[in-house]
Amino acid sequence: MLRYIVQRVLLMIPTMIAISIIVFVIIQLPPGDYLESYIAELQAQGESVDPQKIAFLREHYGLDKPLVEQYLRWAGGMLVGDFGYSFEFNMPVNKVVGDRMFLTIIVSVVTIVFTWIVAFPIGIYSATHQYSWGDYGLSFLGFLGIAIPNFMLALVMLYLANVFFGTSIGGLMAPQYIDQPWSWGKVLSILEHSWVPVVVIGLSGTAGMIRRLRANLLDELQKQYVVTARAKGLPPRKVLYKYPLRMALNFFISDIGSLLPSIISGAEITAVVLSLPTTGPMLLSALRSQDMYLAGSFLMFLALLTVVGVLVSDLALVALDPRIRLSGGVAR
Amino acid sequence: MIRRVTSSVFIVVAALLLAAAVRAEEPPMLAAEVAAGKLPPLAQRLPKTPLVVDVKRPDWSPGRYGGELRTLMAKDRDIRMMVVYGYARLVGYDEQLRLAPDILERIDNVGGRVFTLHLRAGHKWSDGHPFTAADFRYYWEDVANNKDLSPFSLPQALLVRGRGPNFEVLNDTTVRFTWQEPNPQFLTALAAPSPLYIFRPAHYMRQFHSRHIGLDKANAQARDAGSRNWAGLHAKKDDQYRFDNPDLPTLEPWVNTTPFPSIRFVLVRNPYFHRVDATGRQLPYIDRVIVNITDDKLIPAKTGAGDIDLQARYLRFDHYTFLKQGEKRKNYRVLLWEKALGSQMALYPNLSADDPQWRTLMRDLRFRRALSLAVNRHEINEVVYFGLAEESGNTVLQRSPLFRPEFRTAWTQFDLKAANALLNEIGLTKRDERGIRLLPDGRPMELIVDTSGESTEETDVLELLRDSWRKVGIALFSRPSQREVFRKRAYSGKSMMSIWSGLNNGIPTPAMSPHELAPTQQEQLQWPMWGQYYEQNKKGGEAPALPAAQELVKLYDAWRASEADEERERIWLRMLEIHAEQVFTIGIVTRALQPVVVHDSLHNVPAKGIYSWDPGSYFGMYHPDTFWIDPKAR
Repeated sequence: MLRYIVQRVLLMIPTMIAISIIVFVIIQLPPGDYLESYIAELQAQGESVDPQKIAFLREHYGLDKPLVEQYLRWAGGMLVGDFGYSFEFNMPVNKVVGDRMFLTIIVSVVTIVFTWIVAFPIGIYSATHQYSWGDYGLSFLGFLGIAIPNFMLALVMLYLANVFFGTSIGGLMAPQYIDQPWSWGKVLSILEHSWVPVVVIGLSGTAGMIRRLRANLLDELQKQYVVTARAKGLPPRKVLYKYPLRMALNFFISDIGSLLPSIISGAEITAVVLSLPTTGPMLLSALRSQDMYLAGSFLMFLALLTVVGVLVSDLALVALDPRIRLSGGVAR
Repeated sequence: MIRRVTSSVFIVVAALLLAAAVRAEEPPMLAAEVAAGKLPPLAQRLPKTPLVVDVKRPDWSPGRYGGELRTLMAKDRDIRMMVVYGYARLVGYDEQLRLAPDILERIDNVGGRVFTLHLRAGHKWSDGHPFTAADFRYYWEDVANNKDLSPFSLPQALLVRGRGPNFEVLNDTTVRFTWQEPNPQFLTALAAPSPLYIFRPAHYMRQFHSRHIGLDKANAQARDAGSRNWAGLHAKKDDQYRFDNPDLPTLEPWVNTTPFPSIRFVLVRNPYFHRVDATGRQLPYIDRVIVNITDDKLIPAKTGAGDIDLQARYLRFDHYTFLKQGEKRKNYRVLLWEKALGSQMALYPNLSADDPQWRTLMRDLRFRRALSLAVNRHEINEVVYFGLAEESGNTVLQRSPLFRPEFRTAWTQFDLKAANALLNEIGLTKRDERGIRLLPDGRPMELIVDTSGESTEETDVLELLRDSWRKVGIALFSRPSQREVFRKRAYSGKSMMSIWSGLNNGIPTPAMSPHELAPTQQEQLQWPMWGQYYEQNKKGGEAPALPAAQELVKLYDAWRASEADEERERIWLRMLEIHAEQVFTIGIVTRALQPVVVHDSLHNVPAKGIYSWDPGSYFGMYHPDTFWIDPKAR
């Protein structure tokens, strides 16, 4: 087991190096650099910048250096915890991201809990009451949830929340609480504002989870051991929870791998539409303005979480399901 | 231009003001601090002769103190707009677009060569430290002429034929800049929305400067702060326009208190601000400005939900009907201001296009005229702008003293017959089976217009244009891309024609620079290569190939060396005439409207105004420091 873990961890190193190169190259692919997109943006509003100042900034940011040198400096810095410098904010990347991370984690965790609380009972109900009216009705809602694009749902909900409840549009709290110390009013305001993003971000995930749980559970429920258990007179609840549900949960464990990064990234597009103070919109705007170290370091962090998440879910699967063995891929 | 004002007038004004200042009330927000002795009383905070803002507008009223002004921006970096709106400049434009001293008490100008700047005695930075000639000396000696901070050269506006001025400090409140030849750009650069700052808060900036604290210490503290060297840290702390350093003292009406990054910036009144109203009360009236950061696409929706007191940025004319709907329910009013662009949308034939056949055509005067004549401006105005804009070439607006009706109408009537005749005259007589004319090498004339892909407005205009150009045998295709790609394609000659807004400054006076009319910058989409040639001192790009363009460059150089306004006016008019005749850009409509949303509780925002970047600083020239909020209407 230990050997397996060590091997997997060692394998992460080349993976991360490869990801870092890909990330860097893709961010550099569009023509120009940050300063050029900065100038273009200013010019669109009629502003102009003194060429001397741009020359100074280009030198100061190291954008006049060859790409390989820029890459090595960035990658080398990350090893010692220096994630580079955000041009847009004119400060180190760590400081830029720090404040937003907390709110992002709150929204994501609440969303995930929301997904589980809604999806589990419905999934189990649908599977055990297959082809009943309840199953049809809930499946219909589930498909709707998968089919409606998040951003569109977000816009509709924003409008309704504003018209019927007078909630201010976008954001995670009423404007007067932003940057204020925590207070009861602030918590209430966050609760008032957070149901929209939680429902919007959670809905498609919920719907997907319902469908998968239903399908997996249905597979298990047909199997012989369930019939045997029933025949032996086990109470129906125990029959359900003890074996088939446990078997049906494999997909849930393997989801952890993708869950970890999504906690941090916070549903970019939806967050942009809802104007949430999370990391998603920041990542997007950094990519758009070619603020490469901010975008790059952020993507690297997401990649790291994905790689770690996959490892954790693999290990958890082994622990949970005795049918899964480690020997397979690694022994070769 | 700024004239010498006799000092006796100033003494009288000063005496009157002093009397008024003694009686004037403290802004209530500061009263407690003054009473507690933490802040000196008003008379000691104001300069000896404050600037009296006496707005002569019928709907203007003296304000009451207090309140918060809420507005929306899309990015942290947009906080610089508060420097634009605040508009405290050494000299600035008033509503009639005349330059007048603002931070300066007066400025003496001898022949456009020698500028003597007189500061207001007793003027203080927002932290209470005196603002004196030492702040100019710091800029000149420690910033502008420091090899590490300005490694390349002085800012463009300080250079005349590559040579900088001679700088002298005459006394504590007087400095002088002397050029060998006239420098007409100097004052307009000082009055720009993104101004040339020729002073720094020396008492604050010294702590980052190697000459003042020693190189080792300066570099060490820069590295601790995450910068590469002391010059980087100094430049970062020092940006008065960017407004991102809450510790940097300022002269603006409101001081930013929130560091980057944030989604809500709070600006509070500058207790040492140098302007007063006619009764001697210190401005600004409004205590705080709250800038909330939200996605730009959400700004119209939030504005319509009544979340703001004043908003124009990120609102477009096509949001008008939506905004109007919420007027009653959300207690705001939607004003329509005039934009000062020379043309809302203009076509830029690329005179340095790669394709030799097209390049020859674009450089042919008859071809550009034919294209312009084949534009149905009336139809575009009615369909896209509800008939509210004005059909016009890309030239200056009526409001400008340089306006002549013939500049607007030259080659802008819709005349397909004449257009066809011109094209036949060039020799483009062969057509293919669709009726599209053929280029000399036999290719059909399929003209691709690049757009920046930012609004549907561009594509709507092009869609209408396609029909009328089809009638003269030219097929038009639009190619939407993305802003940087769009510009790159034009610069490199890959695009044949672009669509973009017209002249940025449609309301110039002869004193303002006519650089937009001559090939002087790469960003000019009709001749990027020629602009680059000028910008890089003949080291890059291509020399202008057309005599008319060469004349424009000569005229621009003559303007830069001009001494008198009459001469400048003559140069301007000649340049505008060349533009109208040569149709270097094809203007479509002008005087398009900008929605400005104002909460019912906010007073003194003019119902009609010009929404202009330079000159004007958007709201800046209408004195947002005299806007005030009626708490009862909240």
